Amino acid sequence: MADRRRINGPAGATIPPVFDDASTRGPKSIKSRSRPANATRKMYLKTGVTPSASGSAYLEIETSATPGVSGLKLSCSVHGPRSLPRSAPFSPHIVLSTHVKYAPFATKQRRGYLRDPSERDLGIHLEAALRGAIIADRWPKSGVDIIISIVEGDQDRETSQLQGDEVWDMMNALGGCITVAAAALADAGIDCVDTVAGGVAALVQDAGEDSIPTVVVDPIPSEHEKILAACCIAYLPTRDEVTNLWFRGDLPASDIDLYTNLVEKGIQASKNANRVLVGCLAETIQ
Amino acid sequence: MASSQHVLLSPAELAYLHASLSLTPPIRPDGRSPTQFRPLVAETGILPGTNGSARICFADGTEAIVGVKAEVERTAQRPGEDTIFLEEGGVEGGDDADGDGEAREGVDKRKGDAAWVEMTVEIPGLRDDDSGTAFLSAMLSEALLSDGEFAKRLWINRRFHWKLYLDIILISPPLSYPLPLLSLTSHLALLSTRLPRLKSEGDEDPFFDDDWAAAPYLYPRTTPTTTSSTSPTTTTAATRPPITLLVMAVGNNIIFDPSKEELTVADVALAVSVTSTASSTSKPHTDNADLKEPDTEAGRNLRLLSIRTIDPPSRLTPPGVANAANAAYGANNGAATGATQKMLEAQTAETEAVEGVWKAPRGGAKRRVLGALVQKVLERGGVVDEVLDALEAVDLG
Amino acid sequence: MTTTAPPTLAIPGQLLGPASRYQPGPGTHLHDANLYASLLGHVHVAQPQQSQQQQQQQQRRAPGPAKRLTKITPAPAPTPPAELPTISVSVAAAGGGAGAGAVVVGDGGPVAGERKQKKKREVLPEVGNVVLCRVVRITPRQAVVAILVCGDSVLEAEWQGLIRVQDVRATEKDRVRIYESFRPGDVVRAEVISLGDQANYYLSTTRNELGVVLAVSEAGNTMQPVSWKEFRDPETGAMELRKVAQPQPQ
Repeated sequence: MADRRRINGPAGATIPPVFDDASTRGPKSIKSRSRPANATRKMYLKTGVTPSASGSAYLEIETSATPGVSGLKLSCSVHGPRSLPRSAPFSPHIVLSTHVKYAPFATKQRRGYLRDPSERDLGIHLEAALRGAIIADRWPKSGVDIIISIVEGDQDRETSQLQGDEVWDMMNALGGCITVAAAALADAGIDCVDTVAGGVAALVQDAGEDSIPTVVVDPIPSEHEKILAACCIAYLPTRDEVTNLWFRGDLPASDIDLYTNLVEKGIQASKNANRVLVGCLAETIQ
Repeated sequence: MASSQHVLLSPAELAYLHASLSLTPPIRPDGRSPTQFRPLVAETGILPGTNGSARICFADGTEAIVGVKAEVERTAQRPGEDTIFLEEGGVEGGDDADGDGEAREGVDKRKGDAAWVEMTVEIPGLRDDDSGTAFLSAMLSEALLSDGEFAKRLWINRRFHWKLYLDIILISPPLSYPLPLLSLTSHLALLSTRLPRLKSEGDEDPFFDDDWAAAPYLYPRTTPTTTSSTSPTTTTAATRPPITLLVMAVGNNIIFDPSKEELTVADVALAVSVTSTASSTSKPHTDNADLKEPDTEAGRNLRLLSIRTIDPPSRLTPPGVANAANAAYGANNGAATGATQKMLEAQTAETEAVEGVWKAPRGGAKRRVLGALVQKVLERGGVVDEVLDALEAVDLG
Repeated sequence: MTTTAPPTLAIPGQLLGPASRYQPGPGTHLHDANLYASLLGHVHVAQPQQSQQQQQQQQRRAPGPAKRLTKITPAPAPTPPAELPTISVSVAAAGGGAGAGAVVVGDGGPVAGERKQKKKREVLPEVGNVVLCRVVRITPRQAVVAILVCGDSVLEAEWQGLIRVQDVRATEKDRVRIYESFRPGDVVRAEVISLGDQANYYLSTTRNELGVVLAVSEAGNTMQPVSWKEFRDPETGAMELRKVAQPQPQ
């Protein structure tokens, strides 16, 4: 799968040397969460950033209080509605195609130019979330492309190695993708039943293996000792409906309340994001 | 993606199907009860060249085979590695040679990495890099890896691990959404997977027992203590690989294992992955749960691993036209001028739902419906138990 | 129900009012007997103007040979109850997004106008629309055209359309020859009669005011219409056959 058409960087990640000083010697200090459990990070959202696109939006999530932890930066452009390629079959609805791509430098592990399976997976999640929100039969025989580039992934730069928690980062990224795509769709003038926004909640363990887990919204993996489960939700506030639900983790089936609580918190996070989204759109039409 | 393949049903047929599935109790086209699965034929150990394999054939003609192959691979040593060991066991320094492995026997020093499992899904008629295939394989591997315990089973020693390749091949064309079939087949294949017995010790280069009969199962077996089993020789794995079930809701009805036509009228469809573990786990919150209600059930301890929304193909179905809006039934006299015609179209798009006229659903799923779906899957003695019982009956040669 | 006025600005999903008070127009949708906005933009309420509409319809029917009734038309439906005002949300009225602000400041009027044009919501050709299109190629059975203008708005994307030989004119359909009606490069005014197949909209030029509006002769000069089926080159005097659109008063 080597991409021969471009000059690529080194294939694997290079890991900077870690010097054995006092701070790395001691048990890894976990920067604890400075926000309350039900507070999301601050968000910046703006529409109309790409002049050539039909609609576009840019989302930035505040870097957390600890220095060195990057925030999430997403840019979304919507092209269309435009005519379908000649080979495509007749469609009475608008054909949605979503592309999510990490910039090569967005994460600690360098990403190639070709979309890898996890990026395709994000694209499908995004498509499911948006398809519930748009009114597809308003635009027969046409297609719309939603292209999101993740300029900066939400990853801790301080730890030298991957901790196997990229999947939690993916959830955060998906939450942002949904919100920014909803703003760009509204900017492009494509009919939507509601403004859909994404929210993430997680069940975390902060004080050792035996502590009682707590539910937090908008989790940052590096701020917690262990994430037991997390969910990302795309939610339509005025209709009180969920268009996409992605849960992952390990929960006992006997304790359904734990799961319900997690989903409720996810919806709450999504409502928080939606408030920003509505504010941004109101500013756009003013 | 595969779920949104075109089903050639007219709006009238869709409306009929939706109405009959919304009845209480729902009437399914093939006469099943809402929780009933389609009959299937399953066998394991069909591929001699693999560490574990299985084949399942559904009654609708879809068939999948899964082969599991394992290779020994050197674990990449990262500079930060010793920090992990420090954090984990509190042993001074990153010295591997002094056999500290034995010193802390009780501590689970095994570490797993998600990259040790490679899963490929092949579906005829779909490209390898098709998003639907990527979604399916992400869903299946997510269920397998999400508890973090599975990858630890592949740990040999600090320098080596097993690399497990799961190749899932759908032999037949995808007549229905293939997720349940692929999940059940890989479940059986993993259950029948055996890895050669390790003879070397510590962190030296591993070598293995030649005797295949002595090879332990990847999912260790226990003879059930309960007397309920029919034959005394059957053994069951305490911890089972995950299974992913496809559940959908139409109105207030929850329907398991939907066929392709049923999925076309779904209001919401979920893929729920669950597993069953041995009743005693070290998870603290399980302990809490156990304290609350003592585990009276024999052994099976269900755990929820992942949930994903499947984009229901109903959103892409053509809408029907109500008589009131149909020009052929005199909705608009003449309809010759552009203005009236346009008005007519706008009205067809925006009318309240008329009974018997199909309209592609808009928006998402109500919170209550989603909650009920998950609860129905996870309930004790429910469908998951049934499926697991049925799979237990498969002879793991 | 309190009779609150609808908001002036709307965000997708915003409640506009009950369906018993308004008719849904473009940019709105119906959910649970309420009307909600589905676009980001300004809200307009149009009072029903029954009489004026009918007048317009009368005007649109240009004098000429009336099309013979060739199909059985059903009895007219019972007239709808009292016409409700139509509520709609349009993007076009907005002078551009937040990002546009900077652009407008930079260069006064024309840029602002350009931006306004750009922000105009894209429209799709719909059944019943009158469109302007350019003939791309012709075959004995059909003319393939590219739709450029729909109603009053210039389309951003180019949509492909098809004028089949039986849709060129209303009478003597069997005598129509495509090459005597259209040539590649002609600009044609046509009406959309169907969304058509996967790639093409089906267009028709059967009405008198539809047909070729702009044609270039073989010598390369812009021609003038002289009859219902002929254009003349003003310089060479050569005549060429076309399905000519009746010139419309400005």
